[in-house]
Parts: sequence; C-alpha cells; structure tokens
Amino acid sequence: MRIVVAEDLYLLRDGMVRLIEAFGHEVVATAATGPETLEALRTHRPDVSVVDVRMPPTQSDEGLRAALTARAEIPGLPVLVLSQHVEQLYARELLADGSGGVGYLLKESVFDAGQFIGSLERVAAGGTAMDPVVIAKLLSGSAPDRGLGRLTEREYSVLGLMAEGLSNHAIARRLFLSEGAISKYTTSLFGKLGVTDDDDTNRRVRAVLTYLNQR
Amino acid sequence: MERVGSWAVHAGVGFGRACVGAAVCMLVPVVWAAAVGLGVWCGAEHPWSWIGPVVIVCAGTLTLAQTVCRAVRFLVARWTGTDIPAGRREAGPVVQLSTGYWWNGFSYERSRRDAVMDQRMRLWWSDPATWRDLRFAVIAPFSAGVVAALPPAALAVAVLGLARPETVARPETAARTVGACALVLAAGSAPYAWRAVHRVAVRFLRPSPAMALAERVDELTSQRADATVAQAAEIRRIERDLHDGAQARLVALGLSLATAEQLMDRDPEQAKALMGEARAGAAASLTELRELIRGISPPVLSERGLVDAVRALALDVPLGVSVSAGGGPLRLDPSIESAVYFGVAELLTNAVKHAGAARAHVRLTRDGTGIVVEVEDDGRGGAELRPGGGLAGLRRRLAAFDGTLVISSPRGGPTRATMTVPCE
Repeated sequence: MRIVVAEDLYLLRDGMVRLIEAFGHEVVATAATGPETLEALRTHRPDVSVVDVRMPPTQSDEGLRAALTARAEIPGLPVLVLSQHVEQLYARELLADGSGGVGYLLKESVFDAGQFIGSLERVAAGGTAMDPVVIAKLLSGSAPDRGLGRLTEREYSVLGLMAEGLSNHAIARRLFLSEGAISKYTTSLFGKLGVTDDDDTNRRVRAVLTYLNQR
Repeated sequence: MERVGSWAVHAGVGFGRACVGAAVCMLVPVVWAAAVGLGVWCGAEHPWSWIGPVVIVCAGTLTLAQTVCRAVRFLVARWTGTDIPAGRREAGPVVQLSTGYWWNGFSYERSRRDAVMDQRMRLWWSDPATWRDLRFAVIAPFSAGVVAALPPAALAVAVLGLARPETVARPETAARTVGACALVLAAGSAPYAWRAVHRVAVRFLRPSPAMALAERVDELTSQRADATVAQAAEIRRIERDLHDGAQARLVALGLSLATAEQLMDRDPEQAKALMGEARAGAAASLTELRELIRGISPPVLSERGLVDAVRALALDVPLGVSVSAGGGPLRLDPSIESAVYFGVAELLTNAVKHAGAARAHVRLTRDGTGIVVEVEDDGRGGAELRPGGGLAGLRRRLAAFDGTLVISSPRGGPTRATMTVPCE
C-alpha cells in the first residue's frame, strides 16, 4: 500500500514510518503540519493515510480538518486518524459523509502492531476502524426506549462491533457464535434500519450512521 | 377612558408611596416633636428640665437613623429597582491569642463577649456609613419628607375645607375655594411627590467613591486569596497524580524492560511475557495521563473552542443534552473558556446526579459585554447555594473573572443556572 504519514512529533512519525515499512508497505510522503498534510493527500492520493489530530501551525485540530477537507474533495479517500484522546464529536464528523474508508483510533493502538496494520488495511479497503470506547459511548448514549428500541440486544452488540470495523468472521469469534448466525443478525439489522446497499462495506458504515442519526 | 383609568392607578400608587415615604422620613422629627412636647410639659422655664428631652432626641436619632435608612433603601429598591448599597464595613474575625486574651482588630479583651461588643462599638463609631446614615436622617425630613408629605397634607386640607369649612376659614366660600385648590394640588402631585425620596436617597445615601473603591479592594483581595488557594490545591493534586501514577508506572516499565533485556538470551519466553507486561503498563499509564489532562484542560477545548467542547461534553454525559450557541464568534480568553467549560460540566453532572434529569439544554450567548451560559434541566429542582458546596465553589471560581452564577430551582423543577462572565 502507498501510505502518507502526518504527525508533527518527529519521534512518533519516525517510529510509525519504520513500523509501516516493517510490514512491507510504502510510505510515499510524511507531513508535519496541517497544510503539508492537505498538500500530501491531494498530490499523492495514497491508498491510506495516518493523520494526527493536533498539528502546527495552530496546535488545534489542523490534522483532522485537513483530513476532512481532503475527503470532501476526494470522496472516500481512506484516512486513519490517530489522537491522544478520542471524542464522540470527532467520530461523528468523520463518519458523517457515510462513504467509509475512515478510522479513528487512540495513538496507543500502535502498541499492537499487527492489529494496527490490520486496521490500516481495513480502512484502505473502504471499511472502518473505530476506537471501541468511542463506539460504545456513541451507541450507549441512547436509551433503549428511544429510536432503535426495535433492535434486540444481540443485534445491538453486533452493530457495536460492526461500527468498530470488525468483519462477520471477527464478530463471530468475539461473540462465540457461528459466522452464519452473525450474518443472520446483520441481515435482520440492515432490514430494521432500512439500509439497502449492494456493497457490503458501504452497507455496514451506513447502518452505523443510520443508527446514530436516529438518536 | 383608559387613559383616565391608568392615571388614576398611577395617582393611587403614587399617593400610597408618598404616604409611606413621608412616614419613614418623618420618624426622626416625630421623636424631636415628642421631646419638645415632653420639655414643655415638664416646665420649659427651668433649664434642667430639658436634659431628659435632649437625651431622648440624641438616642432616638442615633438608633432610628439606621432603621430609617434601611427602610428607605428597601423602599427605593422596591419601587425603582435602584440598588443603593449600604457600604458598611465588614467586621474582622475575633480570635483568641495564645495569652488567652481576645483580639478583635482594635483591642485586647478578657472575654470573647467583650471583644465582640467592643468591636461592634468601634466599627459603628469609625464606619463612614454610620455618619452617612445620620446625615440622611437629618436631611431627609426637610427635603424628601416635606415633598412626600405634600399629597397627604393637601388631601387632609381638602377634606376639611370641603366637609367642615368653618374649621378652615371664614367665610365659607373662601374655605371651599381653599379646599378645592388643595384637592387639585393633592391629585396633581400624587404621582410625582414620592420620587423625591428616590432622588434624595440616591444623592445622600450612596457610598462615596472612596468607600466603593475600598469595598472593591476588599472583594478583590478575597478573590485573589481564593484563586491562589484553589490554584495551589490544583497543582498539588496534579503533582500527586503524576507522582503516584505515570511516574511510578514508567519506573515499573523500565524495570520490566531491563529484566527482559537480561532474560532475552537465557529465557526468551519469559522475556516475551515481560515485554507484553511492559506494553500493558505503557497503555495503562497513557490512559491515566489522558484522564489527568482532561481534568487540567480538556484537549477538545484547545482544539475547537468552547462551543464544540461543550458539544463534546454533552455527548459524553448520560443525558439528552442539546446545545445552542448564538451571538457571534465564541473564542474567548482561554482561562474564561476553561472556567465556563468546567462550570457547564459541573452543572450537567449535578443534573444527572442530584436532579435526576432526563434532558438538559445548554445555551451559550455572546454579546458585546460578555458571555451568558444557561444550563436548564427537567429534573426535580431544589438546588441551592450552600457554603462549601459545589455551586458555591463554582460561583467563587467565576467571581475570579467578575462573573456571576444565578440559580433558579424551585422544588419540583426545572432548574435553570445562568453563568455570566464579562469579557471584551
């Protein structure tokens, strides 16, 4: 994969590049500021990019804004946003366009290198990789009697894992169920949420978004 | 017809106020009149017989002055909304020294009761407010009192002149004319006469600029002390958290890595396990640091500013919170943003914990003079500012920016808290 790494702290940027290259991927460009990030995303159109939220020159949410701008210009451009803290607010903004290819994880998710590269690949393929804590908060915020009371508890937990970006296979393993059972749950869940889409990845992102919007 | 009706109401209210105002202002002259009466009754020709009345006048004026002024302040605030501060000096603390004696800021006394009495007397004597009140009590009868007494006096003359002309003047027609004129005068002056009380009170009862400044200095001194204490406590908390948390964890991390390094060749399996432990430790210390940072200054606040930070907060509390913002761009001084943010956080926490609310609304409004933040919930209400409580703490923190906190929380709800902070 061709990857852009945007991170202002040299140590982290360097470590990230080495990690990615160790897994046999190519880092086509690095960026240390918001404008540089936007520029790199525009010119290289990478298969996936790793972007830090807080970057110079303002030390505010420059990185996040660069990612959102780039995705507005190039729909579906895969971006994995890393941050020291996760906010539901940012997660919603990233998911809002509904085109998938989005990730939002804590920086320490790189501790598990294998899983991190897995997330990166998933995002590159148009899926999602969301921080479990954020997803739990996003989904738990709604009381069961409002909006989506129609979902059963099991469907609810499947939806949560789906939002994190897990495949049916991985969900099955996590819930100790068969893959067939999971696909039955997902089908009924898509039906209840009224998500009709041919592309499975898209459908999964849309299901989560529909859920969030109904709250 | 309607205009006549409204004028009648106006005149009626004005007449009532004039009567009350005149009565209050005339309290001191009434004492004087009583004293003169007493003196005459005792036999005015003997000089010694005037001692009693003089004592009565002095004591009566001194004790009544404060009561009269308090009543006038209350009436003016009630009628016109003009708040005239009393501007009295605050009594300092009365403390027992190691010698066993009591110190009240002026003198040493043997017992606490003496110290307090002494302090009260000295404060009363040295306080400019006392003399201001006294001056007002002397001036008021001749200015505000006379004007305010006009409508009731004129009405009395009118009633007498029209009902029993013979007591007023002869011939009868002259008495009736006088009565009619007095009636017109009473009616005409009724809506306006009481305003003299307001004018005179504002002119003579308001603390002098020097006094107001002294008060402001006291206020600022205590605010600064509060802020310093709060800051010191905060820094100690951060130090403790870092010392017991992240720092200790990093030491443990270094230990694990050092051991793993040693074991690498001899026992790779155990080395691997240790490395895994080290990784878990690093993750745990990051989580701790994140929580700590959130408590110092939430990252989203510096990244996005107040409105989005409050939105992020609203998403995180287990409560249906809607946020609305209006009135121009909302980037404020970082310290004010932080105070307001933590204020909203505290109010929302209260809504969840104490009010048992299901929904809340946060409204942020920025105008030319400052920022107003309203937090309203549909909980059971009954919130109040208790000394040492969370809301009192919040009010104190806002006061450091000259901000205010107003709570309206009837039993049964809803609770509405309004934070106002002036800023450019």
